[in-house]
Amino acid sequence: MQLPLVGDIPSDVIAAWVLSAVMGVVLFIFVMKKRKWPLIWEYMTTTHHRKIGTMYILVSIIFFFRAGMDALFIRMQLAVPNNDFWVFQGDKYNEVFTTHGTMMIFFVAMPFLIGLMNVAVPLQIGANDLAFPYLNAVSFWLFLAGGLIFNMSFFMNAAPNAGWTAYTPLSTDGFTSGPNNNYYIFGLQVSGLGTIMTAINMIVTIMRLRAPGLKMTRMPLFSWSTLITSLLILVAFPVLTTALFLLTFDRYYGTSFFVDDPVYYQHLFWIFGHPEVYILILPAFGIFSDVISNFAKKRVFGYTSMVIAIAIIGLLGFMVWAHHMFTVGLGAMANTFFAITTMMIAVPTGIKVFNWLFTIRRGVMRVTTPMLFSLGFIPTFVMGGVTGVMLAVAAADYQYHDSYFVVAHFHYTMVGGTILGVFAGIYYWYPKMTGKLLDEKLGKWHFWLFVIGFHLTFLPQHFAGLNGMPRRVFTYTTEDNVFGFNVISTAGAFLMGISMLFVIWNIYKTHKKTDNVGPDPWKGRTLEWTVASPAPEHPFEPMPKVTSIDPYWYGKKDNRELEVAESPRPSPIAVKTAQPILLAGTLMVLSIGFVYHWIWMQVMAGAGALLFLIWRFFTDERIEAYRKEEER
Amino acid sequence: MSQSTSEALFKDKRLGFFLYLGVEATMFATLFATYIIYTPAPEGPAPESVYEARTVILASIFLLSSSGTLLVAESGLKDWTLWKIWTGIGITFLFGAIFMGLEVHEFYKYAHEGYTIGANNFLGSFYVLVGLHASHVLFGLCWMSLLMVQLKKNAIPRALFIEKHKIFNYYWHFVDVIWVLIIIIVYTPFLI
Amino acid sequence: MKRLFIMLGLVLLSGCSLRVLDPKTSTGQDQANLIYLSFGIMMVVLVVVFVLFALFVTKYRETESNQNVIPEDSAGDRRLEITWTVIPVILLTILAIPTVQITYDLASTDAESEETVHIDVVAEQFNWNFNYENGKATENEVIIPKGQEVVFHLESADVVHSFWIPQLSGKTDVIPGEELVQSFTPQETGTYQGKCAEFCGSLHAVMRFETKVVEQDEFEDWLDNE
Ligand code: HEA
Ligand code: HEA
Ligand code: CUA
Ligand SMILES: [Cu+2]
Repeated sequence: MQLPLVGDIPSDVIAAWVLSAVMGVVLFIFVMKKRKWPLIWEYMTTTHHRKIGTMYILVSIIFFFRAGMDALFIRMQLAVPNNDFWVFQGDKYNEVFTTHGTMMIFFVAMPFLIGLMNVAVPLQIGANDLAFPYLNAVSFWLFLAGGLIFNMSFFMNAAPNAGWTAYTPLSTDGFTSGPNNNYYIFGLQVSGLGTIMTAINMIVTIMRLRAPGLKMTRMPLFSWSTLITSLLILVAFPVLTTALFLLTFDRYYGTSFFVDDPVYYQHLFWIFGHPEVYILILPAFGIFSDVISNFAKKRVFGYTSMVIAIAIIGLLGFMVWAHHMFTVGLGAMANTFFAITTMMIAVPTGIKVFNWLFTIRRGVMRVTTPMLFSLGFIPTFVMGGVTGVMLAVAAADYQYHDSYFVVAHFHYTMVGGTILGVFAGIYYWYPKMTGKLLDEKLGKWHFWLFVIGFHLTFLPQHFAGLNGMPRRVFTYTTEDNVFGFNVISTAGAFLMGISMLFVIWNIYKTHKKTDNVGPDPWKGRTLEWTVASPAPEHPFEPMPKVTSIDPYWYGKKDNRELEVAESPRPSPIAVKTAQPILLAGTLMVLSIGFVYHWIWMQVMAGAGALLFLIWRFFTDERIEAYRKEEER
Repeated sequence: MSQSTSEALFKDKRLGFFLYLGVEATMFATLFATYIIYTPAPEGPAPESVYEARTVILASIFLLSSSGTLLVAESGLKDWTLWKIWTGIGITFLFGAIFMGLEVHEFYKYAHEGYTIGANNFLGSFYVLVGLHASHVLFGLCWMSLLMVQLKKNAIPRALFIEKHKIFNYYWHFVDVIWVLIIIIVYTPFLI
Repeated sequence: MKRLFIMLGLVLLSGCSLRVLDPKTSTGQDQANLIYLSFGIMMVVLVVVFVLFALFVTKYRETESNQNVIPEDSAGDRRLEITWTVIPVILLTILAIPTVQITYDLASTDAESEETVHIDVVAEQFNWNFNYENGKATENEVIIPKGQEVVFHLESADVVHSFWIPQLSGKTDVIPGEELVQSFTPQETGTYQGKCAEFCGSLHAVMRFETKVVEQDEFEDWLDNE
């Protein structure tokens, strides 16, 4: 590695170092003063689903600010024509949008959702923990390691710069030979491994650890969407892993798969990439279903078709990937095939939209913050969805493709769908994580500023796109006639940024002032509201017996306690262990070894990782439990 | 509790491991697709001139029969007949190791003849696919040695050992199935 | 919501000046028509959803008086659910038919005549090179005749680019090792912006070219001279 001289380091990188150093020191002093080390150690060695879920969400919030800052840099640079904001032109700009997109999708949206799954799913289905608590800790630390690897790149002045899609041949060593895109590959590989393991964990938990009587047909919709999302992950992520694996060979070992056949890379990427966007939206759908039914005080309208719709969306999601490739010349037959399969997805999604609306109808709706986010979601997401259908019109997509119209579409779906869903979920389940209820007034401020800012930012981008503005450009001219759209967009982005400050304020205020709430602050319907806030370890002792959908609600309504059942099976075994975090650290070192082609480091860290597997092999927490059983 | 601890936890683990094998299967499927797309390559070495039937057949004999010998260990697990477990796992290990030796020999020989990974995309996809399989066999060998150490030390509860052994069996059979697919898709079309 | 509609209205008024919606070829016109059609259908969907949404959200609020009311559950309604399955299917069919038609139409190049102008386009980081049949070459500027079919043969010297003249036609990717073509017949003289639409590296943003559509005799003159 050549260390750049201090004079060569761009000022934004220096600023980042300084800022991080200052924040690090402040944090250190804070932790020292408040004597929080035991708490931190507790979380570092935990395998409890609630604590891990909380960490997922905490880290995602930090990453959201990080990636949001990138968004603000993008918007600053694009605010006016021929702009020269700070250093963000040319390659620097490319680094910024690549980091923004990759971070937002892999290190913000997904872990947010996975965090909520961790917190809520076991509680919703009456499980005492996830099926594999140890594996869960491994997943989390792998995700964090991947995120840190990816973020390190910026501090080394080598952020990835080939777009979140990393199209070849641009991303091969012939055109981007530096360490930049190595960071991309290894960051995603390490965190992707964690994601796959989480998916396995969720499926086993849902299939095998449900409370007695909680049949699949009585499962809350968030758990359903988690199940189906996990299945999508199991099929989609290995394809990404393989594509990146082959890309690694192209970059490191002299093969030329994707140099000779760039379109094959695009196929592999989108076979993963399209299901990925449904991985992002389905859990959000689940959250909205639960929240809307909770606050309309009605059971969800058309439960069965809701479940079937999720399943169909998931299935169809694997048959539409080439709608991202209409312009690569696949021919009219392929293009029309993928156009039609894509359009078909509008039908099950529409079913869900109308079912939500009709859940509200004839209900008695309490507009709390989580409900507000769900209400904001419906019109916003439908706008994003219908522009998706417009994009699916193959011949018209020749015009939209790679223009700001597409940028507008996917922010309407991902911010207006996923991110609003995540916010709804955080406000809703916050008591289960921390025991406290977030402030409603500040929450509403957050909502209104965010949603108004959102529409201001992304609505004009449709028109910028139709006026011929390509995406991934760092500048435009006055003659392009897109100044008006862009400046509004920039203003909107700052409004969203300000709204996020209310979240921080809210969290600060809540933890400073308020006391813990009881188990059921929202007058809930499902099992998670029967257990204390925050959720204790082994919450379901004794085990409830479920006799209907929304069991807690109908129990309350008829003024009866939930029946108690004999626990049909043993709980998963929790441990306190530092192995997962150490393993993740080792893989991080391994990745750095690869990023900079330091073979000695690869060998040492690789051997280290294997040693961990051996260590684990001999320190299985089941030994104790099985021995006890043997003695009995 | 209607289910014993070991029984319930084993079933969890088995389901989880099957799902994991599904993930592996998807990865291999993608690599098979890659191989099919790039083979034969328009330029550079052709598969017919690279492959050599003798090593492939030998390697197959050893790996495939190692799945059979593992069945001996499996039947030993049922009624805890130690000699069966030991012979089964021992011979499986031996066969696996011979397979590894043959694979290394094969790769070494090809590379020596100038058929390196960068020669063309056919060889690239060949090495990635077959190499990934070989590393699975290697991983399996390490796993087996750990199992043998544990069996020897007799330090863990019997139910746990049986569980670990069974999980390993699934893995090994899976790796064998992949090898069968490799024979069918990678080698056979160009050897006959 | 209100603010939103005002903005929508404003922009719709200026809609005809958006380049993509103001095409100067029949190819571009086909695409614009599809955009209008799909936009219309989407407006129908949006209006339905927005109206229902506004209605339900205003009507079914919790108030002082109904605070303790527990609304009656309904598990679903077969008829309603069938309605909102079938109507979208119909709307999508209306959209799908012209989609298929026009996608096929645009894929088949018209019967080429002697006059057809063929131009080899070589994209490289970060330039467009245009080579005419008679050996004439230009850089980042292409001159084509009005009323004459032009066929661009797109090749890349390095990474993937994408050839896009918003006012004349949609984009076609330029892929190394594979030649794609784009063709259209410009119907109005003028100068149009051409852009690289696929991200291709540091200076992707400024990888642009000018398209000048001129009268046929002017074109002939230009081609033969210099
Ligand atoms: C959460 C993420 C998310 C979601 C849910 C969607 C949902 C959809 N997307 Fe989107 N999409 C992205 C994220 C997402 N997308 C991203 C990130 C990209 C760009 C990637 C990149 O290039 O960087 C992209 C790009 C993209 C393209 C490629 C554009 C291009 O690059 O040229 C297309 C093309 O068909 C498309 C289509 C669709 C469709 C049809 C849906 C449908 O699922 C929408 C269905 C929903 C509705 C339609 C609304 C509700 C329905 C009704 C009310 C019923 C009645 C409706 C009708 C009759 C129409 N998307
Ligand atoms: C879940 C995914 C997600 C989310 C949430 C967002 C959120 C945002 N995105 Fe992102 N975006 C993508 C996914 C996402 N994006 C992807 C995949 C791409 C494509 C990348 C590629 O082409 O490769 C992209 C590309 C992209 C572009 C196009 C770049 C280009 O093509 O050149 C733009 C431009 O405006 C943009 C803007 C924004 C804005 C303004 C937000 C806002 O919502 C962000 C709001 C959040 C904050 C602003 C938080 C920060 C707050 C503070 C730092 C506090 C301090 C603030 C103040 C004092 C004001 N995004
Ligand atoms: Cu060439 Cu972008
Ligand atoms: Cu898609």
